[in-house]
Amino acid sequence: MLIGLEVHAHLRTRSKLFSPAPILYGAPPNHGVHPVCLALPGVLPVLNRRAVELAVRAALAMNCAIAARSVFARKNYFYPDLPKGYQISQYEEPLATGGWVDVPAADAADGAGRAAPRRVGLTRIHVEEDAGKSIHDDAIAGADATLVDLNRAGVPLIEIVSEPDIRSAAEASAYLRAVRSILRYADVSDADMEKGHLRCDVNISLRPRGSSALGTRTELKNLNSFRFVEAAASAEIERQAELLRGGGRVQQCTLSYDPHSGRTSVLRVKEDADDYRYFPDPDLIPLLLSADQIARIRGEIPELAEQRSERFQRGFGLSEHDAAQLTASRATADFFEVAATQHGDAKSVANWMLRDVAQALKECGTALEDTPLSPDALARVIRMVDERRVTVKGAKQLVSELVRSGGDPETLVAERGLAAVSDAGAIEQAVREVLAAHPEHAARYRAGEHKLLDFLIGQVMRSTRGKLNPGALRECLLRALRE
Amino acid sequence: MSGGIGTLREMREALDSGGASSVEIVRCSLERAEATQPSLHAFVGLRAEAALREARESDARRRRGEVRSPVDGIPIAIKDNIVQAGEPAGCASRMLAGYVSPFTSTAVEGLERAGAIVIGRTNMDEFAMGSSTEHSVAGPTRNPWRVDRTPGGSSGGSAAAVAARIVPAALGSDTGGSIRQPDAFCGVVGIKPTYGRVSRWGLVAFASSLDQIGAFARSAEDCAWLLEAIAGHDARDSTSIPEPAPAFSAALGAGVRGLRLGMPKEYFEHEGAADAVLGSVRDAVAELERAGAQTIEVSLPNTRLAIASYYAIANAEASSNLARFDGVRYGHRTANANGLTEMYCRSRSEGFGAEVKRRILLGTYFLSAGYYDAYYRKAQQVRALLRADFERAFERCDALVAPTTPEVAFRLGEKTADPLTMYLSDIYTVSANLAGLPALSTPCGFADGLPVGLQILARPLDEAMALRVADAFQRITHHHTACPDGFA
Amino acid sequence: MARITRAEVERVALLARLSLSEQEALRFARELDSFLDYMDQLAAIDTRDVGALAQPLVLATPSRGDDPAAAMDPGLVVANAPASAGSAFVVPKVVESEAEG
Repeated sequence: MLIGLEVHAHLRTRSKLFSPAPILYGAPPNHGVHPVCLALPGVLPVLNRRAVELAVRAALAMNCAIAARSVFARKNYFYPDLPKGYQISQYEEPLATGGWVDVPAADAADGAGRAAPRRVGLTRIHVEEDAGKSIHDDAIAGADATLVDLNRAGVPLIEIVSEPDIRSAAEASAYLRAVRSILRYADVSDADMEKGHLRCDVNISLRPRGSSALGTRTELKNLNSFRFVEAAASAEIERQAELLRGGGRVQQCTLSYDPHSGRTSVLRVKEDADDYRYFPDPDLIPLLLSADQIARIRGEIPELAEQRSERFQRGFGLSEHDAAQLTASRATADFFEVAATQHGDAKSVANWMLRDVAQALKECGTALEDTPLSPDALARVIRMVDERRVTVKGAKQLVSELVRSGGDPETLVAERGLAAVSDAGAIEQAVREVLAAHPEHAARYRAGEHKLLDFLIGQVMRSTRGKLNPGALRECLLRALRE
Repeated sequence: MSGGIGTLREMREALDSGGASSVEIVRCSLERAEATQPSLHAFVGLRAEAALREARESDARRRRGEVRSPVDGIPIAIKDNIVQAGEPAGCASRMLAGYVSPFTSTAVEGLERAGAIVIGRTNMDEFAMGSSTEHSVAGPTRNPWRVDRTPGGSSGGSAAAVAARIVPAALGSDTGGSIRQPDAFCGVVGIKPTYGRVSRWGLVAFASSLDQIGAFARSAEDCAWLLEAIAGHDARDSTSIPEPAPAFSAALGAGVRGLRLGMPKEYFEHEGAADAVLGSVRDAVAELERAGAQTIEVSLPNTRLAIASYYAIANAEASSNLARFDGVRYGHRTANANGLTEMYCRSRSEGFGAEVKRRILLGTYFLSAGYYDAYYRKAQQVRALLRADFERAFERCDALVAPTTPEVAFRLGEKTADPLTMYLSDIYTVSANLAGLPALSTPCGFADGLPVGLQILARPLDEAMALRVADAFQRITHHHTACPDGFA
Repeated sequence: MARITRAEVERVALLARLSLSEQEALRFARELDSFLDYMDQLAAIDTRDVGALAQPLVLATPSRGDDPAAAMDPGLVVANAPASAGSAFVVPKVVESEAEG
C-alpha cells in the first residue's frame, strides 16, 4: 500500500501572497479584498517577501534543499472562487525539493506491532495562493445559486508533497500531526485544521500482493481533520481492496469523503480534459534566493522539537524519553517550560505533566492548548503538594478539575475540601488506632527496623483516605513510636 | 481658438505667454473631438466636465506660479485599455461595456501629478488585439489622411486623434507594434519605451511580457515630455525597471553627428515591403547621413521567425490573461444559462469579438498538453535568439533605423478576412517587443499620398538615443509637420 | 491535409470556455491549420542549447513587505458585478461535476 499526502498550510502573514489585501478570518464576504484579489482589469501581482521567508523556513525545518531559483507558474482553470481564471503556483521549478519528516515512533505504530520511527520523504514544497470560497449551502445561497466570497483568495500557502512512503491510514494522520508540529514550532503557520489553515489531500494506491506493478492512484480531496484523514484513508483502502478482490480495476479519480456515511465517493474521473496549461507567470520575475539570504532565514528559525528536547535534557535533567514526550507539540513544550521555571523543580513538573495532566487530558479527550489549565496553576498545585497543604491524591483531583474547567487552585482547594487535615487531635487518633491494630510492626520498628515507618504511614493514610497532612502525620507517628 | 490643436510645445508656449488658458485649449480639444467623431470615430468616450474642471484648476495653478510640468494644463487622450478611477475602461469590448474602474493606472497617476488633463478615451482594437482598429465593438476608427483607410492599430484612436489635431499627445499601448504602426499610418510620432520603463499597473493586460505603455505626439520633444510624466519605477508592477526615469528631453538637440546607425538588412530585403515605403525610408537614412551620421549594414538573422515567436507568446499569454473575464465579478454575463459551465461559455462567447476569440483559442492550443514545448517553449527560445541578434547588432551601432511597416495604411476591410496576412504585416515591429527594446516611429515621407514611418530602435533603457535621432531628423525635415487635409 | 480535427477544436474551446457555432468551429479549424503551417518554421530551428526567454529583462526579484493595505469598500467590490447578494458575488448553482482545482 502506498500513501502520499499533499498538505496545504496557510502561512502566517498579515497580507496576501500577491495582493496587499489584509487577511481577515471570519469577516463578512468580500470584506478583506483589494483590486488584486478581484482580478480587476489592469492589476498585477507583487510577491510578499514575508511569505517567502516563512515558506523557506518551513522547508528548512523539513530538511529540504532550497532552490536558488524558483519560478511562479499559472495553473489555468475556471472556477468562480478563482478570480483570475488561474492560480499562481509553482510547477516545474518549486521553492524546495527533497527533505523529510520523522514521524514519532509512538504515533507510528501501524497495528502490526511495529513501533520503529518512520521517516517520510518529501518530494517538494512550493508556494501558491489559496482560492476563495464558494458557498453552495441552499439555505444561504438559495437552491439555484452559489455565493462567492474572495476573502481567502490569495492567502499564501505552502504545499508539502510527500513521497508515497506512508504505509497505513494511522500513519497518514500521524504524519500530518508531525507536519503540523513542525509548522507550529517553526512559527510558520497556525496550522489549525478547524480554521482551514491546514488541509490535506491523500493519494492512495494499492499494490496487489505478489505484484511489482504499482496500482492506480486515487486522490482524496480536502480532508480537514486528523480523524477524517485516517477514516477516509481506511475507507478508501478498503474500497480499493474490495474492487481488486472482485477482479475489478481501480480507476484514476478524485474522491471526497463523507464523514456521515464513513464512505468515499467519486467526485470526478481524471480525464484528458484536465489540462491546466501551466506556464511561467509573465507578470512575475523568477524568485532568486542567495545562499546568504537562505542562511539568514535559517538563523531565524525558532528552536525546533529536537533541539528543544536536547535542551530540556541538558538544562532540566530530563530523560530522553520524558523530553521527547514534552516536546512532541510546541504548545506542550511551551507550557512545560513556563511551569518548570516558575516552580523550580523541572523534574517534578515533568512527572506531573506526563502522568497526571496527561491522564486528565486523555479523560477529556482534549489537547493541552485547548484547556483552561495554565502553567502557573499547575506550578502552584505542585507547590501545595510540596508544602503538604494538599495530598497527592487531592492534587490529582485538582488537576483533573483545572483541565476540565479551570479556576484558581487555592479557591478550589477550599471549596472542594481538598486541604490536607492538620488537626493534631484527628491525626493523633488515627495514629493510635493504626499502632493498636499493628502492635507487632510497632515493636519491630522500635527494635530498629526503621524501614517499617513507610508501611505504618501507608496504613494511616489508607484508614484516613489520604487526607492527612503528610508532614504532620509523620511527626505524630514518630512521636508515638518513641513513647 | 479655432482650427486644430497645436503641438504640445505650441500649447505650452501659449499657456506660458498667457495667449491661451487651459480651459480654452481643453474646450477646443473637446469640441474638435466631438466634431470629428462622425468622420473619424477616434474616441469611445469623452470626460468633458471633469476635464474642464481640471483645466480650471490648472489655470489657477498657473496664476499662482505653481506649474507642475511641461504638460500641465495640456489635453491628453488615453487608450481605452488604460484605467482611471471612476471612468469606464471598456477595451473596446462588449465584455466590459459599462465597467467602471475603481482605481487609476500608474501612467494616468503620472499625468495627473504632472497636471495633464485626460479629455477622453480613444478607440482601439478589442483588448488591443489587431492592427487596424476595426475590431472594436464601437466600430472602426478612420485614418485622417484618407477615411477609407484604417489608422492602424491597435492604438488607432490615439494616433488618429493626434494626427487630426484633436489633442497634442496621447497614450497608447504597444504589444507588437500597436503604437508604432498607427504612428506610421497616421503620420505622427510615437514611442514604445523599453519593457518595464512605464508601469503596467492599470493597463488591461493583453500579453504581459510584451505590453508597454507609450506616447503619441507630433514631435520627439513632445513625446519626451509626455514620457517624463509617465515613466519610472513602480513597486506595483514586478516587471517595472527599478530605476528612476531620466530626463528624456535633456538628450534632445545633440544631433546625429558621429552616431553610427545600423540598417538591418533583413528589414530592407523583406519581400513583402512596398518599394515606395523602402524608398522613403532610404531617403530618410540619407538625410541622417547628410546630418553627420554614419550608417552600416547589420544583420538580424532570426527576423523571419519573429512573427511565429510573437504570436505563440502573445496569444498564449492572452489566453490566460483574458480568463478573468468570466462574468462573475464584472463584465458581460449571458442572460440565460443552465449551470456554471454554460454561463462561462455563453458569457465569454457573447462578450468577446471574433478576433479575441481566435487569439484565445490559438493561445489555449499552444499551452495545452502535448503542444507546450513545440510552440510556447520553442517561441521563448527563439525569443532568446532574437534578443541575441540585437545584442550583436548594438555592439556595432548606436541605434537601428528601419521601416516601421512594410506598407502604408491599408483599406478598411482589406485584411479582416485573412488573419494571418494581418499578422504578417507586423514583421518590423514585433521584434522590439520580444527583445524589450525602446522603439520609435517618426514620419519620413509619403507613398501613394499616405504617410510612411521611419522606425528607430535603441538599446534597452536608451529611449534617449531613439528620441535624439528622431529629434535630429525632425530638425532637418518637415514630414512630421504635415497635416491631413481638412484638419489644419 | 488538415491536422486540426473538429474534436480538437471542441476540446480547446471548452478549455477556453468559449462556445462556437458550427460555422465558427469550422472556420477556426481552418485558420488554426494555416497558422500551424506557418508555425512549422519554428520547429525547424535547432534550439537545443538555447534557454527560454520569458522576460525581456533580467531584474532582481521584486517583492514587498508584509504590510496590509486597507480593504476595499465592500460596496465598491460588487459595484461592477452582474449579480450579487449583499457583499457576495452570485453565480449559477455549481454542481459537483463542475468542481475543479
